Amino acid sequence: MRRLFYFRLALSNVRRSKITYLPYLVATAVMSGVFLLIAGLLFSKGMTNTPNGGTAQALFAFGLVVFALFTVLFMLYINNFLIKRRKKEFGLYGILGLDKRHVGRVLVWENLFVIGGGVVCGIVIALVFGRLLFLLLMKLIHVVPGSSFVISFNAYALMLGLFLLVFLITTISNVIRVHTANPIALLSSEKRGEKDKKALVPLAVLGALLLGGAYYYAWTTEIPGIALGIFFPLAIVVILATFLLFLCGSIVVLKLLRMKKSLYYQPDHFVTISGMFHRMRQNARGLATICILSTMLVVTVSGTLSLYLGREEMTRGMYPFDAQVYVPESATEQQIINYDAVLNRLAAQNNVTLRADRSKLITKLPEGEEFRRNNFVWDESVFVDVPTLIFYDGSFRFDVSGTEEDCLVFIQAIRDHYSESFSETPNLIASDIFTTRVQGYGFYGGLLFLGAFFAVLFLAVAVLILYFKQVTEGYEDKERFNILQQVGMDDEQVKRTINSQVLWVFFLPLAATALHMLFASKIIAQMLRSFMLYDWGLVSLCIGGTLLAFTLLYFGIYRTTARTYYRIVRR
Amino acid sequence: MSLLQVKGLGKVYNTKLGMRQCVALKNVSFEVIEGEFVAIMGASGSGKTTLLNILASLDKPTTGDVLLDGTSFAAIPDRELSEFRRKHLGFVFQDFNLLDTFTLKDNILLPLVLMQTPLKEMENRVFPIARQLGISQLLNKYPYEVSGGEKQRAAIARAVITDPRILLADEPTGALDSKSSASLLNQFADLHAIGKTILMVTHSAMAASYASRVLFISDGVLFSQLYRGEDANKAFFDRIVANLSILGGGDIA
Ligand SMILES: Nc1ncnc2c1ncn2[C@@H]1O[C@H](COP(=O)(O)OP(=O)(O)OP(=O)(O)O)[C@@H](O)[C@H]1O
Ligand SMILES: [Mg+2]
Repeated sequence: MRRLFYFRLALSNVRRSKITYLPYLVATAVMSGVFLLIAGLLFSKGMTNTPNGGTAQALFAFGLVVFALFTVLFMLYINNFLIKRRKKEFGLYGILGLDKRHVGRVLVWENLFVIGGGVVCGIVIALVFGRLLFLLLMKLIHVVPGSSFVISFNAYALMLGLFLLVFLITTISNVIRVHTANPIALLSSEKRGEKDKKALVPLAVLGALLLGGAYYYAWTTEIPGIALGIFFPLAIVVILATFLLFLCGSIVVLKLLRMKKSLYYQPDHFVTISGMFHRMRQNARGLATICILSTMLVVTVSGTLSLYLGREEMTRGMYPFDAQVYVPESATEQQIINYDAVLNRLAAQNNVTLRADRSKLITKLPEGEEFRRNNFVWDESVFVDVPTLIFYDGSFRFDVSGTEEDCLVFIQAIRDHYSESFSETPNLIASDIFTTRVQGYGFYGGLLFLGAFFAVLFLAVAVLILYFKQVTEGYEDKERFNILQQVGMDDEQVKRTINSQVLWVFFLPLAATALHMLFASKIIAQMLRSFMLYDWGLVSLCIGGTLLAFTLLYFGIYRTTARTYYRIVRR
Repeated sequence: MSLLQVKGLGKVYNTKLGMRQCVALKNVSFEVIEGEFVAIMGASGSGKTTLLNILASLDKPTTGDVLLDGTSFAAIPDRELSEFRRKHLGFVFQDFNLLDTFTLKDNILLPLVLMQTPLKEMENRVFPIARQLGISQLLNKYPYEVSGGEKQRAAIARAVITDPRILLADEPTGALDSKSSASLLNQFADLHAIGKTILMVTHSAMAASYASRVLFISDGVLFSQLYRGEDANKAFFDRIVANLSILGGGDIA
């Protein structure tokens, strides 16, 4: 009976304070939906089965961990904001005689409703939206045939676990907050300024040093191959530094600006700088999160895009010659010479021509040129002279020209007729660019698909954060600008300072993202080498292009959310 | 010549929902001469805030006009209104309206900064005023770190730092206890003594008894007025209370 009472009170509270709870519900739904989709992708069979999928999986798993961390932080941030608004109500309960234990119980129920409801909505979003997105992207990018959209049980378990954690943390912190405060403090705590952390300057300096160090390291160090062991720690350092700089560095810079009186006491600067203090104290976390999310987005998209666009070059890199046909070790020189003619005959039957261009062979690496797979240095001692093709190190090498289909049929013909020439080893070992191309395109298409999927999800979260920030700031700023107008600030000035503050807040994360990308570009290029992609130009172009596209998109988001803000402020 | 002339002010609010119109002021006329301390009293909803907002050029009357030093408010283009406000008018609000993002000092300097006053001049002005109002020690604190009375004194400092022609106050003691109210009113009296013109809306007869004249508003109409004459505060207070009881409203305290 009594328990039912709290349950009812909580339910009616949630219904009544729709305006405060709705953003929380929406946030829970979006975050849980997005998390579920990412986890679902990670555990999907398609991901584990693709060649080289392990590396991609490790990268995406890292993304998932970072994202989980953000989810927790973001949910705490929203909860914090919400509870601040409701403290007054709790104080009132206390004065009306509901004791703290009971208030606590009501809170537990309320939180359960909202997070529970949000997660259910999230699952629905993931299933509906996820499928639509999947189909859409399938149309745009050619993926390995037979891919389907299924979210595995593990993904559900992981998501539910994460949100259970969020529920526990928020509930406990809310209950503690209600318990430790007396009603008077609760009643008056709605409007209170925020104090700065003590170790502001050292933390800001630490952030700058970490970031500088990470940049320097990323720019100067040659990493061998994929080197996830280097990339992950570096990424963590950059994330940490970003947070430190947004949280503490920004305040320190503003303090320095404020100390410079001739600058500070200018009409526009005066209002802008003090307004920025307020904004950075309130939103630094959200902005840093946006910066990290967008950096991850640009890294993922530009990386997968580079691979997709560079797939021909990569395949070419692995195959200096179109095809390579091995000859059993036991084969005699005569057998090898005869086989040269066999290959030519098969080619003629399949409407393709064979070419073996000896000038492609480099016996000595030119001065100053890097080693790459496709300027392989050939050792002259292991050649065998054959009439038309090249025989090197146990296998025939040659280029094939003809239609793609004929080439594939020709390769198949070699396989079919192999045992006629070498009966003692009937299983042919051959590798060719045509087969690899067909497989590889599917794989890189799949990666790009994953990248695009991630991008959309990250973007959804970024939009959510931005929108949330705009709305909450709008209400606060409305009051501040009212006062400014009463004190004699004219409309033009108000508009100008609003604009400059909003612009700063919006483009700070974008600028930081661009800077991160500049320094990350080299490491990304190096990592892509382990996929045989050596084209610096292409990688830079992809990074630049993605950044540009993201900037445009971000600007679009900014315009739409800023409209909400202005509507609130200038009413 | 009068400093402020109020001629036949009327204000009608059109409520958004429904067609109902709300008449907040009807044909209000009065004059204020330089150096006067005028209190405006009236029941809740009688139109005091509406009147003050119009005098502050924050709102426009439906009919009538306000003249300051012979300049008609209606003749000032919208663009120049905020500059006019900045230069000639100072306000004190019931709920202080200080900005949490500024220290008290910066809050006080705000109008001067907007007027692009040189740094040195600003410093020269802020300290004497702060001393006079007893908040010199608090200048580097933020509004949320000081008491209500201290906030209101900072708000007064902000209002007078531009040396306005007239100081407008809407229930400046509304959020204060009786002790801080008294000290605040003494500050107003001091400002009055050095020749400032003050117009103050109040609910309390106590506060009104500091003024040199009290206007009574009822249902948007100027009902009556009392001059202090040679009375001391106490005697004036008794007359105000007596007048209020005829009107039937207002607090005695
Ligand atoms: N923006 C508005 N829209 C519509 N009606 C309004 C508006 N502002 C005030 N009113 C109405 O005008 C009348 C006068 O309001 P005003 O705020 O001037 O009263 P007041 O004398 O200041 O009252 P109080 O002592 O309670 O502050 C009231 O009936 C009020 O409902
Ligand atoms: Mg009022």
